[in-house]
Amino acid sequence: MSETGGPDVTQELRLPWDDDPEDLYEHAPCGYLTTLPDGTIVRVNETFLAWTGYTRADLIGHRRFRDLLTPGCQLYHETHYAPLLSMQGEVHEIALDVVCRDGRRVPTLVNSVLERGPGGAPRIIRTMVFNATERRGYEQELLAARRAAEDSERRVRVLQQIVADLAAAPTEAEVAEAVLGAPEPAFQAASSSIYLIDPDRDQLIAVASTDPMTGNWEDMPCSSDRAVAEVARRGDLHVIGSLADADEHFPDLAQSMRDSGRGTVVLLPLTTGPADDQNGATVLGVLAFSFREERALSDGELRVIRLLGQQAGQALDRARLYDDARRREERSLFLAGTTRALDEEHRLLQRARRLVERVVPEIADWATVRLQVGPAGLVEYAGGPAPDPEALAVRVAEVIESAAPAYATDGDGVGCTVLPLTVRGRVIGTLALRMAPDRRGADAERLFLVDLADRAGLALENARLYEQERAIARTLQRSLLAGDVPGGDTRFAVETYYQAAAQDLEVGGDWFDAFMITPNKLAVVVGDVVGRGIDAATTMGQLRSAIRALASAENGPARLLEGLDRFCERVDSARMATVVYAEVDLISGELSYGCAGHLPPLLHEPAGSPQYLLQARSAPLGSRAGDRRRTEHRVRLASGSRLLLYTDGLVERRGRPIDRGFEVLAREYARRRDAPLKGLTAGLADTMVGRDHGDDVCLLCLTLGTEERLERSIGADPLQIALLRADLRGWLIGHAVDTECVNAVLLACSEAVANAIEHGYRDDPFGVVDVAATVSADAVEVRVADRGSWRGPGTDFVRGRGLQLIEDSMDEVFFDRGEGTTVTMRRHRETP
Amino acid sequence: MTDEWVSFSQRGVAALVHLRGEIDLANANDIGRAIVARVTDADAVLIDLTAVSFLDSAGVRLLDLIVGDLDDRGRPVKLVVGERGAARMTLQLCAFRTDLLATDLDRAAEELAG
Repeated sequence: MSETGGPDVTQELRLPWDDDPEDLYEHAPCGYLTTLPDGTIVRVNETFLAWTGYTRADLIGHRRFRDLLTPGCQLYHETHYAPLLSMQGEVHEIALDVVCRDGRRVPTLVNSVLERGPGGAPRIIRTMVFNATERRGYEQELLAARRAAEDSERRVRVLQQIVADLAAAPTEAEVAEAVLGAPEPAFQAASSSIYLIDPDRDQLIAVASTDPMTGNWEDMPCSSDRAVAEVARRGDLHVIGSLADADEHFPDLAQSMRDSGRGTVVLLPLTTGPADDQNGATVLGVLAFSFREERALSDGELRVIRLLGQQAGQALDRARLYDDARRREERSLFLAGTTRALDEEHRLLQRARRLVERVVPEIADWATVRLQVGPAGLVEYAGGPAPDPEALAVRVAEVIESAAPAYATDGDGVGCTVLPLTVRGRVIGTLALRMAPDRRGADAERLFLVDLADRAGLALENARLYEQERAIARTLQRSLLAGDVPGGDTRFAVETYYQAAAQDLEVGGDWFDAFMITPNKLAVVVGDVVGRGIDAATTMGQLRSAIRALASAENGPARLLEGLDRFCERVDSARMATVVYAEVDLISGELSYGCAGHLPPLLHEPAGSPQYLLQARSAPLGSRAGDRRRTEHRVRLASGSRLLLYTDGLVERRGRPIDRGFEVLAREYARRRDAPLKGLTAGLADTMVGRDHGDDVCLLCLTLGTEERLERSIGADPLQIALLRADLRGWLIGHAVDTECVNAVLLACSEAVANAIEHGYRDDPFGVVDVAATVSADAVEVRVADRGSWRGPGTDFVRGRGLQLIEDSMDEVFFDRGEGTTVTMRRHRETP
Repeated sequence: MTDEWVSFSQRGVAALVHLRGEIDLANANDIGRAIVARVTDADAVLIDLTAVSFLDSAGVRLLDLIVGDLDDRGRPVKLVVGERGAARMTLQLCAFRTDLLATDLDRAAEELAG
């Protein structure tokens, strides 16, 4: 007994009954086996025999322990159990399945100890066998539970990923894509398809499928009796568990399940709205997925599937709102951009062009704008291919008639929308366009198109008005500038030139005029009205008429300008116009001029260099701030003088100071001293401003007095010959030379110059041909000289003909070959 | 490009070529090309020079080429020139065959048709 009074466990208690050790061995709660080192059973207890159904005689001496194991466990016995026991002397809790006499298997746990003899050699093995049937069952349950948990976790993971994808999907298409990808990884579905509801068209649109070849995958009306439509209407998950199930309720589905070998189909509505209230939810689409086998879905799975439907529905809803917002923004940007782009063009044709180029490809693949302007109308198109022209013409006619848009509908044969372009209630034309079949938002799209047509209509009407005004102004200006400039008077010659601005600007207010005041007094004018367009053209016409009315034998330039100032009191648009006005007495050669705010005339007398006439300057017409004391200045001009009047467009050039412009003009003018008058003004304008100029240019050149001797120098350019001929013709007629003689001299002179250019300057494009002509009472003499290197005449049949013509048309011809060649030709005049 | 100087029409069997203005070294080649392009397939050709105010040797060469080509192919051709004027003068100076020249367009057309 211990001090505490408890039993002393160090001493074996004496039991109240006699425990027989043999009985304990036989009926212990575990199996005992004693085997030889080779495994032969030599002793076994009753418990083991009772478990396995063997008799002692079956085992002892006849069987080895390993013989009682399943084939897999025998292998394990050989590879693990036996070596371990041999090395360690003992093994613990080895799981082995024992095969009973009746073939059952008993899962066991085995402990063994190897006893060695005095020499260390193995003697016997003692083995204890625990029955592990229940424990193994428990383990299996554990394993199944773990597997289920893993499945569920994987499903949740897949769904989490999908929810994340849905949240990130900005467009309906991307949401559809994400939803479509869910059933396969989450539920091992064979395939899935997604349908979305188009509320405008009341259609279920088949949007995407992982296997479009499966089933009846096409659009359907929401009222269809097909299973998908039925589920969309009902708004609740529907599982068609078997073919029999489908046969009963949805024959269409049963058929496609048969065709594609499906056992179970799940139809999941994609809903948005309160999750707990089925009736409050809106169905946006249906996700259909199917399984090859008949698949029973657990409550957990069904819960997850419903959740997927809600998540997808919400994502769709959000994406649609986002899509709408983005489209609205895109449309308003497009409209603003279009308005801006149209504003950049002033001309009607260019504006119409811009319009179709904006529309295609951004919102349509083909577009045509038709305007009812002019006899033929105006048509601009972009993109293609064009729709059937006849069907389109019918639709266009309808739209013009009704002034209401005709929208494209499915299967209407035209496929394009025609919008009327309406201004102040009048249809001025149509805009036809073919857009990609838009799946949604038709109402918004229509509002957008109407807005586009409104803007386009207004912009095109403005361009049309501009065009009209421009045409009127241009016509007016042409009619005013067109040439009743006096000619045919041998005492003077006038050459004019008008060049409109290269950029598409409205007509300017530049003008020139020349007229006889009296039979012996010539007036020349160049002026510039402020502003552009029809107002400027009209004012220019008024001023031109006013000058012609005010000019008289008694009034000089100063009084005429005073008269124009009074004119400005009544015609305000003429205010600040600038004018240079000059009168020439054709008998005395006296020039009197006045300059109202205009650039100074440039005078080139036969001797010396060109001079700007800087006297007689005063303020522009009607000026309030400027000096309006009108003065005039007189200069006596020598015969052969050339006077140039011009507008500022000639000397003003961006990036060049105006005084530099004056210098260049004087130099260029001097350089052309001997150039034919014909073409002089055009050539000057070309040199001074070129073709790409931003302002109108107007020039008038007056040559005074008949030249007794005509002298011209022209470049080695065949085009110059015609200009020389014009000059020479005028000069000859001025000297009353008879027509036959004129024609003969012109022919001979042309041939001689052509010879000089073709032969003398064959290798020198910068050569100069000098021409001098004199008229006497009985003959005309012309001398043509070049400094080129001739190849002898006669070597060329053609030029031979030229020389022959010279010989034949003139009475006397002399060739002088020195440095270059001089041809002197004389033709007798017919005595009148 | 050459519209300023040349235009075309049809007169009976003949292709009618109207020339006008001044024809010289500067434009003769272009005019020639324009004419040849139009009369290659013609059965007969009438060239109206009555509105030509000047004709130089380059113009003569052009007419000579066209006439020669038509002659080679056996196609009749007539040049209509006024009673007087620059074109007639030049052609006469170059001694163009008188059977080529006519003064009246209608009569020339009849002769070609006959």
